[in-house]
Amino acid sequence: MKDFCLRGLFIDITHKKVRIETLPSDVSRKYLGGRGIGVYLLSKAPTASPLDINAPLVFSTGALTGSKIPASGRMMVSAFSPLTNTISSCSVGGNLAIQMKRAAIDFIHIVGKAKKETIIKICDHDVIFDEIPSLGDMSLGDMFSRFSGFKGSIAAVGRAAIHGCLFASIMVDKSFAAGRGGLGLVMASKGLRAIMIRGSKRPIIHDRGKETKARKDIIRLFDASPAIMGRSGIKRYGTPALVDLIASRRMMPTANFQKTYFNEYKAFSASNIIRSLAVKHHGCYACPIGCKQIGPHHTQIPEYETLSHFGALNENASLASIIQANSICNDAGLDTITAGATISCLAEIRGERYQGKDFVDKVVAMASGKGEGELLQLGSARLAEELKVPEASMSVKSLEMPAYDPRGAYGMALAYCTSTRGACHLRAYPISHEILRKPVAIDRFSFSGKARIIKIAEDLNAVIDSIGACKFAFFGASLEEYANAFSAVTALDYNTDDLLRLGDAIYTLERYINTKRGFTSKDDLLPERFFIQPGTSGPGIEIPPIDRVMFEDTLQRYYKIRGCTPDSILRQDRLKELGIV
Amino acid sequence: MISEINKYLDKLISYYMIDKDSASLFCLDDEIYTNKKEISPEAYYLFEKLNVNSLLITRPDPVVWAIIGELAALYPQVISPRDSESLTFIHDIPVIDVFDKDLVVHALGCRKGCIVKDTGIITTGTVSLEQAFISFSSICFATFVKYFSDFINGLYEYGGIPHPRPDQIEAFLNISPLITPPAGDNPLSKDVPLDEEEIITSMGEAGFSIVGNRLVDSFFGNISYIKGGNIYISQTGASLDELSGPPCQIDCVSLDESSTNDLTSSSELGAHIKIYEYTSDTAILHGHPKFSVIMSMYGPALGFGDTRLVGDIPVVYGEVGAGKHGLIHTLPPAMEESHAAIVYGHGVFCSGKGAFYDAFSRLQSIEVMCYNKYKELVEARLKVNSE
Ligand code: SF4
Repeated sequence: MKDFCLRGLFIDITHKKVRIETLPSDVSRKYLGGRGIGVYLLSKAPTASPLDINAPLVFSTGALTGSKIPASGRMMVSAFSPLTNTISSCSVGGNLAIQMKRAAIDFIHIVGKAKKETIIKICDHDVIFDEIPSLGDMSLGDMFSRFSGFKGSIAAVGRAAIHGCLFASIMVDKSFAAGRGGLGLVMASKGLRAIMIRGSKRPIIHDRGKETKARKDIIRLFDASPAIMGRSGIKRYGTPALVDLIASRRMMPTANFQKTYFNEYKAFSASNIIRSLAVKHHGCYACPIGCKQIGPHHTQIPEYETLSHFGALNENASLASIIQANSICNDAGLDTITAGATISCLAEIRGERYQGKDFVDKVVAMASGKGEGELLQLGSARLAEELKVPEASMSVKSLEMPAYDPRGAYGMALAYCTSTRGACHLRAYPISHEILRKPVAIDRFSFSGKARIIKIAEDLNAVIDSIGACKFAFFGASLEEYANAFSAVTALDYNTDDLLRLGDAIYTLERYINTKRGFTSKDDLLPERFFIQPGTSGPGIEIPPIDRVMFEDTLQRYYKIRGCTPDSILRQDRLKELGIV
Repeated sequence: MISEINKYLDKLISYYMIDKDSASLFCLDDEIYTNKKEISPEAYYLFEKLNVNSLLITRPDPVVWAIIGELAALYPQVISPRDSESLTFIHDIPVIDVFDKDLVVHALGCRKGCIVKDTGIITTGTVSLEQAFISFSSICFATFVKYFSDFINGLYEYGGIPHPRPDQIEAFLNISPLITPPAGDNPLSKDVPLDEEEIITSMGEAGFSIVGNRLVDSFFGNISYIKGGNIYISQTGASLDELSGPPCQIDCVSLDESSTNDLTSSSELGAHIKIYEYTSDTAILHGHPKFSVIMSMYGPALGFGDTRLVGDIPVVYGEVGAGKHGLIHTLPPAMEESHAAIVYGHGVFCSGKGAFYDAFSRLQSIEVMCYNKYKELVEARLKVNSE
């Protein structure tokens, strides 16, 4: 087997020191890149406080980036989350991954804290620390405009992070977010305002012939996928295509998850957006799908999650206010899912509704951290705790649930709890089979077999995040095709099963780190509401509360399958088997 | 999970897809469930080594098994089918001589299924047993089509396929009489469905009959009906014999694009819409009748833009979906006159007015015609050769 050693930059920002960090071949082959390398590097400081000077912040690419393989321009940002205190990693698109590859960097591993606000500029071999006069409250839009002459890619934090928002995001190339868990605050805590990267080398591909064949196989599957290339697929409508479908399945979280159907969802449906606005498409580096959309005056069209949470979750039918609030979040660097869910939580506690301009005002306050914004910047769990109504926060491990009500998809309900970064839809992404019928349809209202299904899906998504691929690609293609692509690019002869085993090890290491950080089965809990309150049933669709006994039984099965004790602690034999201890 | 096992076992048996006693179906959650009295050590091993949750180990029906035996003798390591579903989803099929558990693990780590000559076909799933069932069904279809299309193309020296040797001809002459000729009866009603409920019922009946008459293997094909501003169409990956549910696997799609609910509809929705525009018909059936697919592949390989006829039915090239070489571009115009066309290496699309009766009759008669033509062509060539 050819030597496969990932090569990165270790940056001690306190002392402005940089060195090349080359990971041994066995580590590189085991953790692959992207999320795997993120968790590996975090495992060296497993109990570090998220904002500690020595807590790592890792930007890492996957092996596929820079190849001809479709939808392979994603990368990961990893750190300990100040919002959840769990391990956290976010997939992000744009051009950052390809610029890192062109600079021959697989990862950037940052520790320390700069004395003054700093921008790190990386141009191939050169690394420059640019101490800047504080950019203060400058909007990210203005910051990206200021550097528009730079021909590479930029990852930056905005005023939300500077003002200490626990769910501040990192924005890449203006419109791509490493959104969840407050990684922007981790970056700001290091005095790091932005990283600018430009590379000029051509990434090395092991076997161009096999790469072309793998590309062809994958494109053929994209073309055959209704969810990707179909009449209403994400190529045409972006993720807003999900609005109609999720509403019709009666699982669109509404009024802070008190209901599962919003009568006025059509106001922000994809067809309404396309009809009422001149929309252009764009996407991550070299992606043939290009699922991102830009509206008039270069405003970003929100993703499904944002439309749904700024709309239905807050019972807000004003599309203009949703788009405006989304722009404010992007400009300030705020995670839109937590933003929407925190405002709806406050609305429920106060018995109020924040719609249209009122909703936008709340987002403005949140971005500034001033006045009421100070409370809103805490996220829903701490906010609800402060206001003495902790049950009003719709979160798991303090991470707010995204826009799929767990009463409408039981695999999703389980996955929210087993996810290593809190209530996240992307760690297992069961919406793919429970709703989109890919690779096959399964009964969304049953727990039968779901424990193993979710475990395998978590392993799969750990692989996807570690090789630089996009999850949406898997609405059409499967790991079989991406394993061939991976082998073609790297010369590592891994098949589907080899990769899934590595995904298992990556996921298990994440869970192990969380355990070291004090997380137990008590944290793998859904809010009480979902067990006692029904959703909004509709024609032919009953949305009852989740059966607690069935849920807990399935969670126990999951622990057993994952190799945990009934208290969710990983067994030693399992840790040994996976080479974690 | 036991109900899932019973469901697929029942399908395998009732559609004569397997050699009854050989079927072993397994589902794994925190423990293994099976239709067998005992869990074999092989199943334990495969579940231990593979990150999957379902497993199907079975011999296909004796005819397909004999065909696989012939192909495996020719291609001892891997069989590479050329039909379009296989090119898209199955890619190729590893072949193993005897059940060596590590070889099987490796093969199943690379592909959705494999052939083990002393055992049968082994397939897996990571989400449900349905995946293992689909892969099994696809391997049976792919090997059947490859065997018969390679044989006829070899006889007529098309596509660089070598002329069959005498022993291969002898095997063919033993196998071909075992094939059940396509049935000719049409069980569907001519009554036009009047409302949504009737449309769903008649789509359910049509889907069930296509599968029952083996004009498609359970999970492929699609079917639609147009009424007013809506198209009722089978969902992507829907089993045509389970369309009317529960759960109902039919989407109602509005033509004015006021909704994106068709995100879950058949990948051929776009082609169906265009077929309705070209033909003014009201019902479309798409199946994969085997001899129609085989006859579409008889002759030089077709490329995008090429057409030919089988009888008076056009054959066009087109890949699944709406890509730049998609059948959406070539199929609808080809159906304008004939109300039917075969997509090269893929399947037959038929449309009709009123209910599904006409479309079903066309589908069936095309398969009968292709079966007869195949027989005639092969017999004629064998006769010439023997003279
Ligand atoms: S599908 Fe969308 S998110 Fe995924 S790589 Fe392409 S543009 Fe980026």
